[in-house]
Amino acid sequence: MSRFRRPYIPILLLFGTVQFLRADGGKVLLQKQAGPFLITLFSDPSVVRVGRVDLSVLCQKSDDKSTILDAKVFLHLTKPGGAEIVEFTLPATHQAATNKTLYAAHLDLPSSGKWKVKVDATRGGDEASVTGDLNVLPKEPLLVTYWPFFIVVPLIAFLFALNRRLRRGRELRHPRVRP
Amino acid sequence: MYAVAAAALQSWAWHPWTAAVLFFAAVLYVIGWIRIRRLVRTTHDGTRLACFLAGLAVVWLATSSPLDAFDKLFLSAHMTQHLLLLSIAPPLLLLGRPLVPLLRGLSKRFVKEALGPFLTSPVCHRISDWFTSMPVAWLLFAISTVVWHFPAAYESALGSNGWHDFQHACFFWTGVLFWVPLIQQTPGKSRWPAWAPIPYLLFADLVNTIVSATFVFAGKVLYPTYEAVHLGSVSAQTDQTLAGAIMWVPGSIVYLVPAAVFAMRLLSPERETAPQPVVRVPKPVGSRSFSYKTKWLVPARRVAQWVMLAIAIAVIVDGLVGTQVAPLNLAGVLPWVHWRALSVMALLLVGNLFCLACPFTLVRDIGRRMRTPTLRWPRYLRSKWLPIALLLLYFWAYEAFGLWNSPYATACIILGYFAASLVIDVSFRGGSFCKYVCPIGQFHFVTSLVSPREVRVRQSSVCDSCRTHDCIRGNATARGCELYLFQPKKASNLDCTFCLDCVNACPHDNVALLPILPAKTLTEDPYRSSIGRLSKRSDFAALALLIVFAAFVNAAGMTGPVMSYEHRWHARLGPHATPVAVGIFVLLGAVVAPVLLVSACVGLNRLIVKREQIFEIARRLIYALVPIGIGMWAAHLLYHVAPAWTTSLAFVTPAQILCLDAGLLLTLYVILRIAEQYGGGMRRVLAIAAPWALLSFALYGAGIWILFQPMEMRGMVH
Repeated sequence: MSRFRRPYIPILLLFGTVQFLRADGGKVLLQKQAGPFLITLFSDPSVVRVGRVDLSVLCQKSDDKSTILDAKVFLHLTKPGGAEIVEFTLPATHQAATNKTLYAAHLDLPSSGKWKVKVDATRGGDEASVTGDLNVLPKEPLLVTYWPFFIVVPLIAFLFALNRRLRRGRELRHPRVRP
Repeated sequence: MYAVAAAALQSWAWHPWTAAVLFFAAVLYVIGWIRIRRLVRTTHDGTRLACFLAGLAVVWLATSSPLDAFDKLFLSAHMTQHLLLLSIAPPLLLLGRPLVPLLRGLSKRFVKEALGPFLTSPVCHRISDWFTSMPVAWLLFAISTVVWHFPAAYESALGSNGWHDFQHACFFWTGVLFWVPLIQQTPGKSRWPAWAPIPYLLFADLVNTIVSATFVFAGKVLYPTYEAVHLGSVSAQTDQTLAGAIMWVPGSIVYLVPAAVFAMRLLSPERETAPQPVVRVPKPVGSRSFSYKTKWLVPARRVAQWVMLAIAIAVIVDGLVGTQVAPLNLAGVLPWVHWRALSVMALLLVGNLFCLACPFTLVRDIGRRMRTPTLRWPRYLRSKWLPIALLLLYFWAYEAFGLWNSPYATACIILGYFAASLVIDVSFRGGSFCKYVCPIGQFHFVTSLVSPREVRVRQSSVCDSCRTHDCIRGNATARGCELYLFQPKKASNLDCTFCLDCVNACPHDNVALLPILPAKTLTEDPYRSSIGRLSKRSDFAALALLIVFAAFVNAAGMTGPVMSYEHRWHARLGPHATPVAVGIFVLLGAVVAPVLLVSACVGLNRLIVKREQIFEIARRLIYALVPIGIGMWAAHLLYHVAPAWTTSLAFVTPAQILCLDAGLLLTLYVILRIAEQYGGGMRRVLAIAAPWALLSFALYGAGIWILFQPMEMRGMVH
């Protein structure tokens, strides 16, 4: 054990994954003033694809930019065009949000293309709605989405081969002498 | 305003992977720390523990606290997060002197075999010495600090999760490398002169000052993302100035205070810390052994059996008289959703805990008090062929009759199980039901080959001098092994029900539940008590093969393509055709496919291996497939159980892939080790291993394909 004088090695081994230091990304999709409200819509991930997406809404007073926490917020998503119109309406809530000053909703987008997104906010007698476009890209191949988990096998196989090579080198340098 | 502040303070994120890694690191360190404290003690032990845990807490704070939730709204929050990752967490972690505790927290064998060659390799030493030399570490730190604050780089991190993760990783890693030369593992053994840390820290502070001053005096908002959104009266410019101030003042303190400490040491060498007194802790007399701990499990086993019996009765009653909506009935949920997953989890984390707590053997024991068995199990049935047939029947019935969806049928099966175990074991001596009939037991026996614990002897020398052999014969107070496993010759968990009768019977306290390297027993082929050599037992090989392939068949049965195949038969020939269609599917997947694939591997091996060895090798290499089969079972059952335990399911698919990864790696390792035992050189070893490795890759590919298919969530409320 006295030969192991590298304190950072186990730390790097433990923390050596980029995924571990997880951070929130997200992107402003639209920001519009409507009546007494300033509404900002974020998406996470920033590039929206078919499948799971988190949409969150920041609701502020348009005059002093103070955050409104007691509004009722609904998201309407529509995909026009074609024979079939796909439509979602769902509430955005603080419970669903990581950042509790935002209103969030999680949804599964079924198809790619240009979607219309409408945010309705009501508070007391005040109402406002803003609309914008949401460009949804086709779903990533699952192998691409989960690539870090697929490189585990070749990575460990490589480390195993390296381990064997190093061990052979050590045995050549310090051959075991049997009594 | 207060409401907003309160909401902000509640904005804690839950990142399961981060939490898992931090928890794992903390547990590893604490275990190692305790183990070291049992041997030696220094005055700094407590401080080191506190520093390391504080370092982990800081990482957690940076990645999961409201700082993380607000990092795209406020540059100041983001800057604080970076300060924690770059300058606070790394020195705290390193002050915990993590090397020895973390290594001691791992198993000795793993450290020696897996990490040892890297830790002692001169090449690795040279690389690590280069990375942690003061100029390189400083340069990496400076590059990371400066480059990531260029607007283009910072904006790309704000706009993409991947780049953002990478940015944080860069800060953390360069932080670790930066602090390593300053926090030496062995005091007084620095590769650098004593004055070197002072300019090292001062120049680092200079870089920090330049970047932070840029924020403060830029006169414009550097990162447009923060300009888009701002809350209340805090403008983006004010926020940027605040971020600069945070980076400047607390950031500088982090460098200047250590620089001052180094300067004081340099000017007053007599103040140099004296070597710490190290106290060797004498081994306490009568210390608790593993055996002692295992003995404690003997009465606990009975309690567990009674609890399981009570649960089984509840399941039967609810299944027979309760609602027949499976997700609302105990018989629809407990056995098919929770118990299967829990038993596999227990097998992978500890050992065969379900057999240990088996309620069927409890009823059997009660029955034996009324009637002592006299018959011996028929010789022609003393193999695994009967349980193989029963397992096959079970896999078919599960799919064909939708057992998961029928609480009544489930209750009847459990009742039948109680009756069968009672009738067989009050008629036949020993553990005939467990050993030769129980399909669940066979599944657990095979799966427990990769368990990390095994019931075995502590010191073989004690057994050498034993003349009573109570572990198998029993004595006046405790019975011996009912499955005829003689402890000194028992070489794996095969056929072991973890009943602990041998632990209880051994008068020398020499049998215990001891740790073992998972899958180690698969690489060996010793004579096994009551089994013989696995290379000579076709029934055991067939059992293992069935369990491996059934994992894929069982999971595939839920996928869209297989369901539509069944529906087509159903539509074409009516409802009575479903059992036939399922039967064909199960037969093809669990019997025909393995036979064909193994025959192909044997055929390829035949080209280079002698005729007399070929089946022996095949029987052994079939066992190498057990880990990937168990990986598939674990991945599949995780899919069933996760929605019942949590609503946050983002971790499920990655965890499933990791289960298969682990299974594949272990399988490849076992294949290589077995091939080495038959190979005369690397080329021959690879030639023997290649077909089996290809088979395991094919199984891995099939597993991934199955996991990515649309699945029907059985037994759950949608």
